[in-house]
Amino acid sequence: MSTNTYDAIVIGSGISGGWAAKELTQKGLKTILLERGRDIEHVKDYVNATKGPWEFPHRGGRTVQMEKDYPVLKRDYPLNETNLDYWVDEKESPYTEVKRFDWFRGYHVGGRSLMWGRQSYRWHDTDFEANLKDGIGVDWPIRYKDLAPWYDYVEGFAGISGNHDNVPILPNGNFMPPMDMNCVEKDVAARINSHYKGSRYMIIGRTANITKPLPGRTNCQYRNKCWLGCPFGAYFSTQSSTLPAARATGNLTLRPWSIVTRILYDKDTKKAKGVEVLDAQNNQTYQYFAKIVFVNASTLNSAWVLMNSATDIWPDGLGSSSGELGHNLMDHHLGVGAGGLVEGYDDKYYFGRRANGIYIPRFRNLNGEKRDYIRGFGYQGGAGREEWGRAIPEFSIGGDFKDALTEPGAWNMGIGGFGETLPYHENRAFLDKTKKDKWGLPVLAIDATIKENEKKMRVDMANDAKEMLELAGVKNVQVYTSEAVLGRGIHEMGTARMGRDPKTSVLNEWNQVWDAKNVFVTDGAAMASTACQNPSLTYMAMTARAANHAVEELKKGNL
Amino acid sequence: MDRRSAIRNLAFVMGSAALLPYCTPGKPTAHFTHFDVNLDQQNLVADLAETIIPKTTSPGARDLELDKFVWLMVDDCAKKDEQEAFFKGLGEFNDLVKKSYNKNFSDCTKDEKATLLNTFEKKPSQKNLTPTDEKYSKELRGFYGTVHWLTVFGYTESKYFMTREIVWELVPGRYNAYFPVKNLKAAKNG
Repeated sequence: MSTNTYDAIVIGSGISGGWAAKELTQKGLKTILLERGRDIEHVKDYVNATKGPWEFPHRGGRTVQMEKDYPVLKRDYPLNETNLDYWVDEKESPYTEVKRFDWFRGYHVGGRSLMWGRQSYRWHDTDFEANLKDGIGVDWPIRYKDLAPWYDYVEGFAGISGNHDNVPILPNGNFMPPMDMNCVEKDVAARINSHYKGSRYMIIGRTANITKPLPGRTNCQYRNKCWLGCPFGAYFSTQSSTLPAARATGNLTLRPWSIVTRILYDKDTKKAKGVEVLDAQNNQTYQYFAKIVFVNASTLNSAWVLMNSATDIWPDGLGSSSGELGHNLMDHHLGVGAGGLVEGYDDKYYFGRRANGIYIPRFRNLNGEKRDYIRGFGYQGGAGREEWGRAIPEFSIGGDFKDALTEPGAWNMGIGGFGETLPYHENRAFLDKTKKDKWGLPVLAIDATIKENEKKMRVDMANDAKEMLELAGVKNVQVYTSEAVLGRGIHEMGTARMGRDPKTSVLNEWNQVWDAKNVFVTDGAAMASTACQNPSLTYMAMTARAANHAVEELKKGNL
Repeated sequence: MDRRSAIRNLAFVMGSAALLPYCTPGKPTAHFTHFDVNLDQQNLVADLAETIIPKTTSPGARDLELDKFVWLMVDDCAKKDEQEAFFKGLGEFNDLVKKSYNKNFSDCTKDEKATLLNTFEKKPSQKNLTPTDEKYSKELRGFYGTVHWLTVFGYTESKYFMTREIVWELVPGRYNAYFPVKNLKAAKNG
């Protein structure tokens, strides 16, 4: 047997790839985990995680040089001095924007599991049934009952803190104790919950920050520095959670600097036999062979790998027979919300920096309501007291002003919407063979935009935010709306959707590529719709379920 | 890290080749990546910062070298046109001081300095343009606004402020959702 032969190959080490590696190795499969970027070792390589704010030369800000080097990243909050090394080098890895698409990438071991927002919400049957009911896209081949035990399973391992809120649209989960709302949030929630009498709720965020220890992990220390990597392993990441578990089996080989350029398809067996890897450091090409391949390179890059795996049988790439590969690209649209001042809590404050906020689950187009758009949106937000920044517009000076800077400022409360985006066939990514990256590989071109349904939804997103905050007693409520830009949600989905019919979908109900059954795609690419909840928890559950199926099928000799 | 320091060095070479149009006469005493600064300019910013955050029973801007932070931020984080506007505003600020007191800002008394800077002050109720805004040019307001916010930013994010003036802990270890403000003061003084 060649040393390049394994039982399983996993492409990508982010949230879903880490889960695939953990599940497959724990079930006894010799697995190689291929990561295109460098290694980041847990704790040791979190170089900025234990610095005080004053230790950063620009106090965490962004320089003109950084803006030049990161023309995409600078478009939103991620560009900052504190975790610059966790974001892709945009010069090395460009892409083509047919229309503006903010693609925020992390090319290293752990991927975006190191920088993710950690909000973790289950889907509901309303979400799985939506495409069928609306006649949009394709019907999901799975329902809530298919994922429910896997949600239980991944929540237990990852550690999700949350409350059993009994919100009908948002199933409870296998939670650790919830974090607390502060005094303003608690009162605002009580007013919203009582006013809407069960049709709208405000709850504490459900987050992948643990509130009790897990093996090898300390509970959250309320530093709110998650995006630097957590020295306590208090939030779920590949490094803190799935990678150590996979390593403990003795079945894992992790190979950083490994750009998978294509999946090797064997037309005789109609299966993949392995992958080709370009070593990002020495530019040598290697081949790895395995019985099964898990594609977890993140939504857009998983599509890239499949499209770049063209053969004479599948000239548009592996999984392209339906004509849907690369299509139906989705995201959550955001940038609409409201905020204002809260009076009357001047003697109250909070201690510690909670890496979590509040959540208002979807309430539109439920229970028979029909707006002038379909689907819905949720809000994330929170309340807090202003700090020194409040002093800036006033230009005050002197000793009294200096003393006043130590006092907490006014309370304010804000919420921002996350809206569902529909799957549109014409929203797509494809190979741009006219442009090459640092390694001479064709780059991805992205051509996607929101449409009327999302635009109409954004009107409600703004108005409902204002209405709810005002009735909850928030003063001087200001609405903000910005242009909807796809990618900005950093919730890319679609491009290799699951479905019931190989003619209209790329993957079957077990995330297997219809055209090559031993290839599984279990990241955001598999999504047939987006719902409005943060998606990563669903990727985890889907991945564990698919890995279990893959091993069962292997045992039966079906793969 | 190597790549970034290489870029930084390159930027330094290119920046020092360009002459800054708004530098007032005087021998450069401090070299930054994108401009040189003379002693008068250094003193002005340091005096402004000290007037905004003065030494009282606790350290002031000079003790905490907040003026150096202001220059670093203008050097690294302001675009070329913003830097040019900053120096133009600095020149206009000097003119304003001369017109008001017939001397340099550094030679003004504490009261004179405060009186002048207070003409820039806005009350929270003054959302819109004030007479001051119309009287002073955009560059002048921009210059003072930049020095002001960077001084305050530098102060509130200084190690001194975050470890001695407020209770900022690297590892709070807990979240207390109902922390009375009076406890904050007790903790601060204790």
